[in-house]
Amino acid sequence: MPVQHSVFNDFPDVRLIGNFAVLPLRTKYRGPAYQTSEYDIVDEVVDLFRVNSFFRNFEIKGAADRTLVYGILFVNECLNNLRQSPNHHQAQKTLNVLASDDFAIPGEPAFPLNGIYLAPAAGIEADTLRQYLSQFRQELAERLLSYVYALDTSAPSKNWMAFSRKRFMGLSLAAR
Amino acid sequence: MNTTPAVVMDNGTGLTKLGFAGNDSPSFILPTAIATNEDSTRSRRTSPSYVIGEEALARADGQNYSLSYPIRHGQIENWDQMERFWESSIFKYLRCEPEDHRFLLTEPPLNAPENREMTAEIMFETFNCAGLYIAVQAVLALAASWTSPKVVGQPLTGTVIDSGDGVTHVIAVAEGYVIGSSIKHIPIAGRDITSFIQTMLRDRGEKDTSLRTAERIKQEYCYVCPDIVTEFKRYDQDVTRFKKYEAEQNAGKVVTVDVGYERFMAPEIFFSPEIATPDYLTPLPEVVDNVVQSSPIDVRKGLYKNIVLSGGSTMFKDFGRRLQRDVKHLVDQRLRQYEQQAGVKSSGVEVQVVSHKRQRSAVWFGGSLMAQTPEFKNYCYSKQDYDEYGPGIVRQFSLMNVG
Repeated sequence: MPVQHSVFNDFPDVRLIGNFAVLPLRTKYRGPAYQTSEYDIVDEVVDLFRVNSFFRNFEIKGAADRTLVYGILFVNECLNNLRQSPNHHQAQKTLNVLASDDFAIPGEPAFPLNGIYLAPAAGIEADTLRQYLSQFRQELAERLLSYVYALDTSAPSKNWMAFSRKRFMGLSLAAR
Repeated sequence: MNTTPAVVMDNGTGLTKLGFAGNDSPSFILPTAIATNEDSTRSRRTSPSYVIGEEALARADGQNYSLSYPIRHGQIENWDQMERFWESSIFKYLRCEPEDHRFLLTEPPLNAPENREMTAEIMFETFNCAGLYIAVQAVLALAASWTSPKVVGQPLTGTVIDSGDGVTHVIAVAEGYVIGSSIKHIPIAGRDITSFIQTMLRDRGEKDTSLRTAERIKQEYCYVCPDIVTEFKRYDQDVTRFKKYEAEQNAGKVVTVDVGYERFMAPEIFFSPEIATPDYLTPLPEVVDNVVQSSPIDVRKGLYKNIVLSGGSTMFKDFGRRLQRDVKHLVDQRLRQYEQQAGVKSSGVEVQVVSHKRQRSAVWFGGSLMAQTPEFKNYCYSKQDYDEYGPGIVRQFSLMNVG
């Protein structure tokens, strides 16, 4: 069974900034994303994170794959921030800071994956992308926690934490 | 003499299976290892000059014995050691008189005829055995599958997937003969699955991550799933899928090891090798398809219809089912393409993977089936034949037509 690609690659009329797909989200966080009530990219990231983490090769087949890759790498970063095994409440705080705090967007020198992401045009496009990523990260962190603390709210599940050591595509958001 | 059962010996790279024809399973399964003691000052009573099997592994920890594996990559490399190994097998394990028994030995595909001669020399001149037949392992594995209700008749055409500890072979057999040019080896087998499990246990920080624990988890809990993405979701919904294994450590201490996703991820390395090794990327179903496609066109249908599993690493639950589905998928894809190009409707190709109860020692069991038939003695060469014609006689064995 090969590495999994995003089902949103085939969706028509996807909004693009640079070559990053700005997909609809099911979220209460505010931002530029369109609202949806269906299966969204965040669900997909959570579903595919564990499978794809085992793979090192991944061919980007569409703009949605770039969103997927970003999401998977972000989940990995989240898990790495839970290494101290905090309880659910502390974890929420940690990830909230991580998700909304200062982070690099494609095109900036600090962004580690500039090889596969195009820089957005400066000004309004870059701002929109930053806001979208912030919204995406916050929603993803929240849904991730509901899985990682599903059984035990005092410590993260070790079944999930095991994946913090894996390097999808040999990449990491933290490696600057 | 006609009433004594034939001895069946299957010497593999990792394990040797010993037993008598007519039995359901081998009497002994032991590592193909020998430990020798060359020290002339040793006391003969307490330390024998050599030991084989488990005992060899145990003795090798000490100072005086040196351990060696006489078979490498399926072929006998060290004939002196092998001779001693056989001697112990016959007299210490099976405890039989070789003059009274015929012997069925196995050989890997593409074995050199010189190796057969060497084998015959040892069997007849050292052990003076009553008769000898050397069979190709893949053909015996096919014979073992006749016990499955899925198999109609006794076909000698089929694709054999033989996966032991070290390496996996995919071998096409047509009418009892191995198609040498289409043999494929896959560097993924039992050992790789075990070390994959070990890595997953370590990543999770389990209390016991020894090779032995990983091995036991592999044997007791692993299975093949149809789709890994949905399988992960099923584990999220149903926590009873996570298991616990009680690992016994030194000094009788018992620790509990949690068993998680490795249950289905470990056997998955056959189907997506990329997750275990960066150098080998072809999934098993694709290799099987390539082997059949590189065989003569008139036997391909027979090869697809009778894909036979053999060896311990094919024992995972639903291994055959998944393989059948994936190969079928590849074949159907090709057929559709062909139909589009040619504009002709194809009648379809049947793909069937045969699993059966004797898979673990399939080669040995096939040998046992063959050697218990009354015709067996006609196919053997006897000591008289050997004396009359010399070792060259064993270059050619006729195929056994049983039934």
